[in-house]
Amino acid sequence: MRYEAPEKLSEQRRNGDEPRVGVFVCHCGGNISDIVDVEKVVEQIRKRSGVACVTTHQFCCSDPGQAVIEQSIRERRLNRIVVAACSPSLHELTFRRAVARGGLNPYLFEHANIREHVSWVVDDRKEATAKAGRLIRAAVARAARLAPLEKRRIPIHPSVLVIGGGVAGLTAARDLANRGIRVRLIESTPFLGGRLAQLYKIYPTGQRARDVIGGLIREVSSNPLITVYTNAELVEARGFIGDFHTTIRLVPRGATERCTDAQAAINACPEETVDQFNLGLARRKAIYLPYKGCYPSIPAIDWRNCTRCGACLEAGGVGSIDLDEKPREIVIRSGAIVIAVGLNTYPPRYGEYGFGQFAEVITLAQMNRLLDPTGPTQGELVVNGRRIRRVGFMHCVGSLQHEGVHKPMRDGRINQYCSRVCCTTTMHTAVELKTRWPGVQVYDFHEDIRTYGRRHEGYYDKVCRQGVVFLRFDPLRPPRVGVDPKGEWPLVLRTVDRLTFGEELEVPLDLLVLATGLVARDMSKLVDLYRCSVGADRFLMEVHPKLRPVEMATFGLFLAGSVQGPMDIGESTAAAAAAASKAAALLKAGQIELDPFVAEVDTSKCSGCRICLQACPFAATDRDEAARTAKINQALCTGCGTCVASCPCNAIQQRGFRDDQVEAELLALLEAEEPVGV
Amino acid sequence: MDATELRVEPALDTQTAWEPRIVGFLCLWCSYTGADNAGTARMKYAPNVDIVKVMCSGRIDPDLILTAFAKGADGVMVLGCHVGDCHYISGNHKTMVRMPLLRRVLEDFGIEPERFRHEWVSAAEGEKFSRLVSEMTEQVRELGPLDWKARLKECTGENLGPWGGEHP
Amino acid sequence: MNANGKLRMGVYWASSCGGCDISLLEIGDKILDLAQIADILFWPCVADFKYADVAGYLDGYLDLCFFNGGIRNSEQEQVVRLLRNKSRTLIAYGTCAADGGIPALANLYSSEEIFEASYHENPSIDNEAGVEPQPEVETAIGTLEIPRFYPAVLKLRDVVEVDYVIPGCPPQADDVWETIAALASGAVPVHAGDARIGCNNRSVCDECKREKREVKIKELHRHHEFRPEPGWCLLEQGLLCMGSATRGGCGALCPKVGMRCEGCYGPPPGATDQGASIMGALGALLDAGTEARAQEMVAEIADPTGTFYRFSLASSRLRVSSDRGGRR
Repeated sequence: MRYEAPEKLSEQRRNGDEPRVGVFVCHCGGNISDIVDVEKVVEQIRKRSGVACVTTHQFCCSDPGQAVIEQSIRERRLNRIVVAACSPSLHELTFRRAVARGGLNPYLFEHANIREHVSWVVDDRKEATAKAGRLIRAAVARAARLAPLEKRRIPIHPSVLVIGGGVAGLTAARDLANRGIRVRLIESTPFLGGRLAQLYKIYPTGQRARDVIGGLIREVSSNPLITVYTNAELVEARGFIGDFHTTIRLVPRGATERCTDAQAAINACPEETVDQFNLGLARRKAIYLPYKGCYPSIPAIDWRNCTRCGACLEAGGVGSIDLDEKPREIVIRSGAIVIAVGLNTYPPRYGEYGFGQFAEVITLAQMNRLLDPTGPTQGELVVNGRRIRRVGFMHCVGSLQHEGVHKPMRDGRINQYCSRVCCTTTMHTAVELKTRWPGVQVYDFHEDIRTYGRRHEGYYDKVCRQGVVFLRFDPLRPPRVGVDPKGEWPLVLRTVDRLTFGEELEVPLDLLVLATGLVARDMSKLVDLYRCSVGADRFLMEVHPKLRPVEMATFGLFLAGSVQGPMDIGESTAAAAAAASKAAALLKAGQIELDPFVAEVDTSKCSGCRICLQACPFAATDRDEAARTAKINQALCTGCGTCVASCPCNAIQQRGFRDDQVEAELLALLEAEEPVGV
Repeated sequence: MDATELRVEPALDTQTAWEPRIVGFLCLWCSYTGADNAGTARMKYAPNVDIVKVMCSGRIDPDLILTAFAKGADGVMVLGCHVGDCHYISGNHKTMVRMPLLRRVLEDFGIEPERFRHEWVSAAEGEKFSRLVSEMTEQVRELGPLDWKARLKECTGENLGPWGGEHP
Repeated sequence: MNANGKLRMGVYWASSCGGCDISLLEIGDKILDLAQIADILFWPCVADFKYADVAGYLDGYLDLCFFNGGIRNSEQEQVVRLLRNKSRTLIAYGTCAADGGIPALANLYSSEEIFEASYHENPSIDNEAGVEPQPEVETAIGTLEIPRFYPAVLKLRDVVEVDYVIPGCPPQADDVWETIAALASGAVPVHAGDARIGCNNRSVCDECKREKREVKIKELHRHHEFRPEPGWCLLEQGLLCMGSATRGGCGALCPKVGMRCEGCYGPPPGATDQGASIMGALGALLDAGTEARAQEMVAEIADPTGTFYRFSLASSRLRVSSDRGGRR
């Protein structure tokens, strides 16, 4: 039933809806009544038109307090309720439920905040009493105009789309499928595993990263409820919570399942290019497998480097390769979407600590590839043909940046945040170094060390015992990297050490490892398609960092892992598991209830100017071509009311925040003040 | 300066003394929660700003602010989430355009700029909220009553026959 | 109604430019039809009618009175009160009567400033003696009085009850004739609050044929520096077209020829404050991205108040009067 909003209170009264407002003023056990003269307020409010009763209670939120509300509704035929108490963030829901139990629509309730906004912030009794009076009379005025509202119920399509095939996406997909939910997982590259596959050993267990990710991939690939699409690009997204339609483009991988001798095909390829999996430390063919045991085990063609010469075709055998396959688009329908696209490591700029200038300056991620026995050097510590004996680690490269010291990223902003994982990874890598090559000298250059996690500090203790030398630099005067004037070592690092009270040091090195921070990926397409909130740090933003940490403001979107900010693997999987649980709970409910504060168009007033179409951050406003008016998709509407303020003809109203309701509140606030004696 | 210091000691005639009446339009997710935050931290600030809560600062129609002034507010505050932190992605981007626009119009109407304040207050910025409220209250107190209602009487014909205005 | 079955009609011109009177003639050959259905008993613009004649009528003697212009001085106030009493149906005709129109923009200035501009500063004025009109002047033949100047331009509804409002600067001739014909035939009630007639119940956008591409405004332009692309919404191209915040009825005359709508039909249906309407809309339309850019774009607007309230300042929420505050 659509509620026809009356323009005026008199009209509402003519419709037989004479407001009988019950006002309940809470003492909050003295938290309010010690400052606010509750009796005085009661006396004032009782006189107002439309108020049927005013009651006080020591604790309105207590069971007896709620019972009084319920009872009064029945006994005094109340049809609107105002509770003046603490902040609505604490007990609005409590009181709505009490109102519902009393037999009223729960949205015929208005909350006046006279604790956080009055008694806790005003010292003067008279002033506090006056302010409480104003807020309550405004709530009464607003309440008198409230209309019954129903939560929106939207059916949920019983499947989930997981975007991203790294550890977070795989975890979310597995957890969802284990609950019996149909999952489609899309990955933009040809292989699953994400960044984790590139790591060597991972803390705090010291396991091989590939074993961890391999096990997870096996679970996912063997689960009949999960369909994996690799080489998948996002093209378009429509729909809303419960019924998303995402169009993806599947880029052909080149090789087919009939490719039995992958290695022969790869060997036959004449085109060589930079091996991105090994972070530029090696080269690979245009048709390739990133590592042994990758999934899918079918090689993929890197079309940018393939010349379509057909050499692989002959070597791979009949039907092994299809060079003519065209990309195809498919539409994936889902009730919810888990976003697990991960992040990037900070790309040091040319010359940043000598990066790019010297082959001996590498990133921590590259170091991980060097340590891997299956990596580009077969696990030998050799860089630029030189066996490494003195290694330096440089912390906070691309993290904890300072205005004026560091150049901003492309968007003009610097990375002020801590990337969280690099310190422990550095310690963990140093342990590995000192354990495998005890003779190697290790220096650690830091502004600060934050091995914050459980069992992380152990790595720090261990490297201390293993003889790693720690030097603390001044963040405003970071160390400089240059060539060794004596020519003995490839690099010399000059720094001021704060641990020795400003001693100037020159440290010769033959390898400098930059502990690069973590940065958000370029997610503009994703952000655009799903209308995601993006934080100032460029990572996607949750609704609330503590209370709703994996949900997005757009209903039905969940965040899994480091798309949300720097996280280590454990944190990523925990977040992924949480996202999977949230998505599963949503799907299992079969339908979802949403706040009823949606906007609606009064088509008799709408002129079809389409301004609201540009106002809505969620594309909930649309055009009804036949009527030449706007229409609002209630499933997409999040109830911000932005379109309401944008409509030049006031043809859009927001339920619960109609113009007349807000205006009534405003006018009541601005009424002439009644004198309050002490 | 501490907000409590700013207040005049209660005199005998405080019942009739003028106090600035300021309306604060606050978005629920950031600024209203920021005001709650100030409360939880028991920060003391001037009691003159009465809050009207909306879901998003993007809901704050310029018409509401004009109405507030027309109906007796001495000042209006509009507080929303910081740009980039909007719960509704870009709801506050509309506020970011509307408020400077409105400010120029209000100035033309002869309303002093100090009577209209537009700021971003996050859920964590209780301290900023309490500071803004006290600052604004003092600014408006210095300006004195706006009393637009009296001004309106002159140009809505309420005073006509006999006309109340003076010939220049 | 007269014994001959014709309507008794009056027309008056107060604080306005006179275009409204002319617009009544714009009905063309229908003027002959008008003569068939109505007797003009009062129209100072076309013949020498006397106030005393009108004062002599019984109350409600005139069936229909078209009153154009706002109220700026005591004479206009007296006449509108007189005509209200003598007319069964009083029509606020044209935007000045409806919403103050262009003259109401003077409300942004004080009476002193207005006199200064009109009688001293204006380059076409030759007033060496520095004379200003005085309400009362003693002369050899006695005391001469002229109407008193009011501190604000008022719309008709501020002074008297109005039965209908026909907005437009000026109203469109076709609509005017239809309205007269409807009233003459008794098809519409004689009193309708201040219902707006002779106009559209949607905004100018509804009548405008220009294509909306649903793109935001990247940059603001003014007509003298910018040639808009034909067929594409002027507002989206960065011209501050008031069409979306203006009542329709003109048939989008200005946008049709590539000029932005200036808002002459007043606030759109559903709204009272035209400026608030367009400011709300511009919030959604200006593609600022950053706060600095938003402020820059806003600063580029040459005269926001004059642009947004060009025709409707007397209907705005704040209205403003001259002598206290206002623009300096």
